[in-house]
Amino acid sequence: MSIVKDIPSAKKPFKRAYVGIFLWFTGRAIQAAAKVDKEVKKEFDNLPDDFTFSLGCLPNGPSMVIGKRNGAVKYLGGNPGQHKVHVRLAIKSVDAAFLILSFQESTALATTRNRLITDGEVPYALAVIRILDIVEVYLLPKIIAGLAVKRYPKQWSAGRKLGGRIGIYTRTILGI
Amino acid sequence: MLLPDYYEFCCRVKIVAGHDALEKIPELLTERGAKRPLIITDKGVASAGLIDIVSAALKDRLFADLIADNVPPDSDLRVVNQLAKLYQENDCDAIIAVGGGSVMDTAKGVNIVVSENAADLMAFSGVGALKRPLKPLIAVPTTAGTGSEVTQVAVIKDHEKHLKMAFGSYFLLPDISVLDSRMTMTMPPLITAMTGMDALSHAVEAYYCLQKNPLSDAHSLAAVRMIYHYLPIVAENPSDRNARLSMAVGACLAGIAFSNSMVGLVHNLGHATGSVCGVPHGICMAIMLPYGLEYNMHKREEAIAGLLLPMTGEAVYRETPPAQRADKVVSLIRQLNADLNTITGGRHARFFQEVKDREGKPLVPREVLPEIARAALSDGASIYNPEDTDYEDNLMVLEAAWEGIPLDRNKIKRG
Amino acid sequence: MNPVPVFAFTCPVKTNSGNKALEHLPVELAGLNACRPLIITSAKAVGRKAIRTLQNAFGDSGMTLGLFDGVTKTADLGLIEHLKNICLGKKYDAIIALGGYDIVDAAKVLNLAVSLKMADAHKLSPQTPVLRHLSPLVVVPTAAASGLETSKFAHFSRRIYSSEYLAPNLVVIDPRLTRAADGKTIAATGLAALGRAVESHISADANPFRDAYSFAAIRFVKENLPAAVNKPADRKASLAILNAASMSGCAASEANSARLHKLGQVFYDMQHIPTGVIMGMCLPHVLGDYLQEGVNDLAALLLPLVGDDEFSRTPAAKRADAALAVLGRFLADLYGALGKDLPRNLREAGVPGYIMEDILDVLGKDNEGPYLRTVVERIAG
Ligand SMILES: [Fe+2]
Repeated sequence: MSIVKDIPSAKKPFKRAYVGIFLWFTGRAIQAAAKVDKEVKKEFDNLPDDFTFSLGCLPNGPSMVIGKRNGAVKYLGGNPGQHKVHVRLAIKSVDAAFLILSFQESTALATTRNRLITDGEVPYALAVIRILDIVEVYLLPKIIAGLAVKRYPKQWSAGRKLGGRIGIYTRTILGI
Repeated sequence: MLLPDYYEFCCRVKIVAGHDALEKIPELLTERGAKRPLIITDKGVASAGLIDIVSAALKDRLFADLIADNVPPDSDLRVVNQLAKLYQENDCDAIIAVGGGSVMDTAKGVNIVVSENAADLMAFSGVGALKRPLKPLIAVPTTAGTGSEVTQVAVIKDHEKHLKMAFGSYFLLPDISVLDSRMTMTMPPLITAMTGMDALSHAVEAYYCLQKNPLSDAHSLAAVRMIYHYLPIVAENPSDRNARLSMAVGACLAGIAFSNSMVGLVHNLGHATGSVCGVPHGICMAIMLPYGLEYNMHKREEAIAGLLLPMTGEAVYRETPPAQRADKVVSLIRQLNADLNTITGGRHARFFQEVKDREGKPLVPREVLPEIARAALSDGASIYNPEDTDYEDNLMVLEAAWEGIPLDRNKIKRG
Repeated sequence: MNPVPVFAFTCPVKTNSGNKALEHLPVELAGLNACRPLIITSAKAVGRKAIRTLQNAFGDSGMTLGLFDGVTKTADLGLIEHLKNICLGKKYDAIIALGGYDIVDAAKVLNLAVSLKMADAHKLSPQTPVLRHLSPLVVVPTAAASGLETSKFAHFSRRIYSSEYLAPNLVVIDPRLTRAADGKTIAATGLAALGRAVESHISADANPFRDAYSFAAIRFVKENLPAAVNKPADRKASLAILNAASMSGCAASEANSARLHKLGQVFYDMQHIPTGVIMGMCLPHVLGDYLQEGVNDLAALLLPLVGDDEFSRTPAAKRADAALAVLGRFLADLYGALGKDLPRNLREAGVPGYIMEDILDVLGKDNEGPYLRTVVERIAG
């Protein structure tokens, strides 16, 4: 009679690393967008002073934390455990995170595909999703972002798109 | 038929429906090894004589001192804890919830406390905090509309600490929903009309929203067919029991559809109007439904056109050219509102201008529309709406719904 | 006094279907309070690659999986007893059945033995009372499915277990696992889904909750089976067929007198012919008889078969005939496309004469025995 074997689950170092890097990149981009884009800034202004949110992947994948500290929006690293988090966005697996962070699926689409678990007060969570949407439009070429967001903002001026994009990219990379 | 790239669907509730479905409860309890159910309800349901019907059906499973009818219109943590104590002190082993949304929420809250021995309900709030089946919960809805007998969420308010706790888990789905025509028979026409339009809005929104999937679609279509056909009939003949049962079944199908596919603009703006102006949910739904269809038409024309056959049947479908089918759906829903307005002697409102309180004072003055449009930005239903909505979009739709004129579709922003 | 009888429906199964569906499993299991799943499968039936795909989906979860890959068609309560002891000893807290047919049946019965903590699983029988939820059971179907995977039934060792609690908590349909090696396999799965869905509508009282599942399944089979058969590599088509199979099992959980089911099952039990192959042979005969009897609602089948436009153009009185005609053409096309690969009758299926006697004997014990035997005679070839 055959017996039962025990198999430890494998690791996914490549996807994990990609997701980790992209979470870092997106975190920095949000920090930058809060300085460069009026709308992102306004969304953050409407949130409470110590507002903090995390975006990460389950069951124990990489995460990033963004928070308002003394009026400024800051990327707070990769460990949500240290912070009191108002909104927690959790992607169900590192593979699903890969789909989202390689922009094959937008945050909104991922939500409607039950890949994203949102925990926290709804108005705050919606603000976070709107911020992520705007940042996606900045970071991505139109052809990709058009797929990622419901309505690609064609009423944005070319200046906002281009100027904003350059600003966010440089700030993201320099971390300012 | 559409197969999304990825979808999830779940409705684990056992549905028992019929003119004397309540009589099955003793058997259903036995199947689950339960003997002493706690009945949770509110004063309104009890005074309408509905608990007497449930009691008679329970026979030897009825324990007169295990009927709690003190659920307030707004779920309350204190009541939840008090009922949980009642359950525990009397060695109950199941809960029967008879009523509308607040009764269902309260019963779900009680069930968490007694199943998890929770001293602090807050520890189980949020999504996914529950990990195992709770005690048997039998839901007996007394309106045909909310669908709360098949939803996996509950909201409990802590009025002392001014906290609103939300719970979401498949384990919050009732074990069984019993749909019995006698439970809705005494509902007056106006309430029948508005709860029925709520149910229709669930079925329709579920059919065009982003999370639609083959199974939610199948439930939506069946629901639309039943509700569109039977709603005017029950509004006109409240004691038509076959029509009452069909409405209960239709509303339940719609509940299953929307709790899987979610709702969009109609509920988004409807929730906001409800919270800003205190307009009953069903009225908001009736008014907003045509606008939700119009606003999303450019993204969902095919789906909307697909509602025509279940609504009208073959003859009208054949006579309507394909390109006009989606528009026809919108106009039929406007017509349904107009018919309900006539049947209720003008009391069923067709647009916000018409909504009045008991003293005849307008409930939605035009000046508050901007406030509603803003409030809607904080409501989760916007995520599932096919087209994006911002403040200006919301205001434009609200203005049209206030006046009662169709939406100018050229003004809808497209990406 | 009550013109409409009380009707009931339940589908305890959650469906997760599509791209990367498997990767959600760790989170799904955590939601069911499980962290140490045991995979029950047959390496011979599903292949090593499918097992690896499932294992890889747990990558990065930190979970340790148990694997038993030796389910055979002759599995019995001895195996269940053996596995039950291992489960209880090694504290597995959930079962994942990878595959279809006997694999899932064995997993259901094992779950029963483990959840009830039976001292001796040999004592299990269809009469064993089940009054509460069992441990989490997940079904991950591959291309070969009978449709009963998602149902409340387990056909195990010549006995039929039936309980709402036997149905899986979750079915995970992932396109990486649903592509068939050949057209015949997916055709059999599609025909089983079609047969069950059609039958669960016509052979039982009207029930809109059940029909939601049946009609969606019929539609999916009609729209996708030709593509799935002609291009076995078509991801979407085979995914749709396995969706249909899963839905048909949910609908079949409630059907009470199921002629196609009984016919399909007896040939599977005795000859291991995929259920759908026999159901396909019997479908025109059984439906034709229903039409003659004139009491069942065949007309409603036309809508999911042909869609809104054609349904509306067909006069109400002609819909039942039209539905049958559409099904007839659908089957003929399928047989045409697959040629010898899909047998049209028992002779082509290679059922030996001496087995036929046994099969007729088994059917004879059914309360509809005489009728079922007439169908067997008609598909003999
Ligand atoms: Fe509603």
